Amino acid sequence: MTPRADEAVIVAVDLVPGHDGTTELLVRLRHPNGAEGPVVLDEETGLRLMNNCGAASLGDLVGQSWRRIVEGS
Amino acid sequence: MFDLIVRDGLVVDGSGAKAFRGDVAVKDGKIVAVGQVSGDARRIIDAGGRVVAPGFIDPHTHFDVQLLWDGAARPALEHGVTCVVPGNCSLSLAPLKAGDRRQVVGMFQQIEEMPPEAFTQAFEWTWEDFAGYRAAIETGLSINVAPLVGHSVIRLWVMGPAAQQRAATPAEIVAMQDLLRECLAAGAVGLSTSFVDTDENGRPVPSRFAQFEELDALCAVLGEFDRMLQCVPEFYATDITIARIDQLAELSLKYGITTTFSPVFDNAGTPENVPRIMARVEEQFARGAKVWPQMQTRPLDLSFSFLRPSLYFARLPRWSRVLRQAPEIVLHALRDPETVAKMVADAGPDGGDKMLGRLICRGGDAAPAAMVGRTLRDIAAERGQGCAQALIDISLENGLDVAFLDADIGHDNTDRIGPMLAHPLVHIGASDGGAHLASFSTYGDTGYLFSEFVRKGGHMSLEQAVAKITGETADIWGLKDRGRLQAGLAADIVVFDPDTIAREAELPTFDMPGDGMRYVRAATGIDTVLVNGQVAYANGAYTEARSGVVCV
Repeated sequence: MTPRADEAVIVAVDLVPGHDGTTELLVRLRHPNGAEGPVVLDEETGLRLMNNCGAASLGDLVGQSWRRIVEGS
Repeated sequence: MFDLIVRDGLVVDGSGAKAFRGDVAVKDGKIVAVGQVSGDARRIIDAGGRVVAPGFIDPHTHFDVQLLWDGAARPALEHGVTCVVPGNCSLSLAPLKAGDRRQVVGMFQQIEEMPPEAFTQAFEWTWEDFAGYRAAIETGLSINVAPLVGHSVIRLWVMGPAAQQRAATPAEIVAMQDLLRECLAAGAVGLSTSFVDTDENGRPVPSRFAQFEELDALCAVLGEFDRMLQCVPEFYATDITIARIDQLAELSLKYGITTTFSPVFDNAGTPENVPRIMARVEEQFARGAKVWPQMQTRPLDLSFSFLRPSLYFARLPRWSRVLRQAPEIVLHALRDPETVAKMVADAGPDGGDKMLGRLICRGGDAAPAAMVGRTLRDIAAERGQGCAQALIDISLENGLDVAFLDADIGHDNTDRIGPMLAHPLVHIGASDGGAHLASFSTYGDTGYLFSEFVRKGGHMSLEQAVAKITGETADIWGLKDRGRLQAGLAADIVVFDPDTIAREAELPTFDMPGDGMRYVRAATGIDTVLVNGQVAYANGAYTEARSGVVCV
């Protein structure tokens, strides 16, 4: 799924510790106006995102549309 | 004749004032004198070389269920905690109609990870309303309780199944207001709400279906009683958290109430999070709003087993691909030597020593007892293996049911966290005591405050640290009778060794109903704990005292 020019895109991904002791996914989104901001996805959402994108590693998520985060949720 | 005098201690009175050597006298459950006290007492506690402080207050717990069979909220009391606030995150055990119990139990099991037996064997459901729940716990309290009432259960009482489906009608909002009034009159310290939590089926809890008008109306009632609002904002995104801070501030100003929110974490991946939150909190306090961020003292730990999918290995493509599968597929893959060889190769030329060697075998599951508490490096060396190979083999040998801990992996930079905790607008709390039972220990944060940020880091004086978890907490929560060593206030007192107070290592224990497991930490350096003038814990043991009260 190629991101549209008018939607937020994942530009960086990292792993962070979660409040509940699980590993969570920190994704940094770049919005169409150039602004960037982080969102932390819980483990279930993060795993779903990786599956949705067919990602083998974190780097495979870079360039994906933010919509992949909410797919199948 | 006094009932009791704590003699010759270093009195740290909870106000932040400089400590002094003196005595604290107690009579009829109250502090009656502080300073150089003359006269006799039925009991003398020698506090020479020890600190005498007000009992600690833990403002964010989920002891709602445990208090029904354990009035000491163990092990909170032995850590010097004399007052707990349960009912956080929109969930309390009252008001709750009998027909709705199963639904709320599911929500509690999601948050607390408590075994089903806790709800079916450990107590009798004797109540529906808040006064009934209060009566049920009051029969055996060793610790004081300032209970919140949960927005989700108020919603469920009024709306039934629609509570998790839609916005409330104006008539339903009025009914919720009336019910909240009843709960506050029966002793609730405030209302809790959540914008984050889910039930056991992954559905948002009822409070998340509320429109702002509903929360506004409930806060109007809090204003009538001058009580608290506790909130879990969308802490996964700084911008949304800041928007919630603004909403809480408007409610605080409009109704003259105090609000608090949690959790607030500082992680290396989001270093701007706390500074941005605190900048907004400072702005709102400057406007006159009361929006207290709660921050926990303890670092975040990560844990995983191969039994359930985890992101822990998401940086390693081969591991990630295998371990995201269902357990039977994982087992099949890990029995394939070629797959395992590739995974081990991915872990680095040192066999995974640098990447995995620090992991600790947790126990509480199928892990062999001889491995529990030891590092993977140590276990692997004993087996004559590299760390990655040992991790795979140990998991295979035990049906994948071996959990490993990666400790202090977030919220762990003492030189950043220390000044944050010391900030005058940061409310130390968010322990989550009584929750996450099967994931990690939520006890001992107060001991960690002293060991890490007073003794080791020097970010706070002893007096500041005590004030943060006693007098300041009592002021924030409106607990007028607690939090200070002052004549006329309740005699909640802890005597501790300032050189050794700390939390011990995390260990699995099987003391939940149905032999359910939880992780706990014992206390170090706590000599004596008094609750309303009676010795509830001394010399490493709990007493028979049942002097705790609902203390709103």
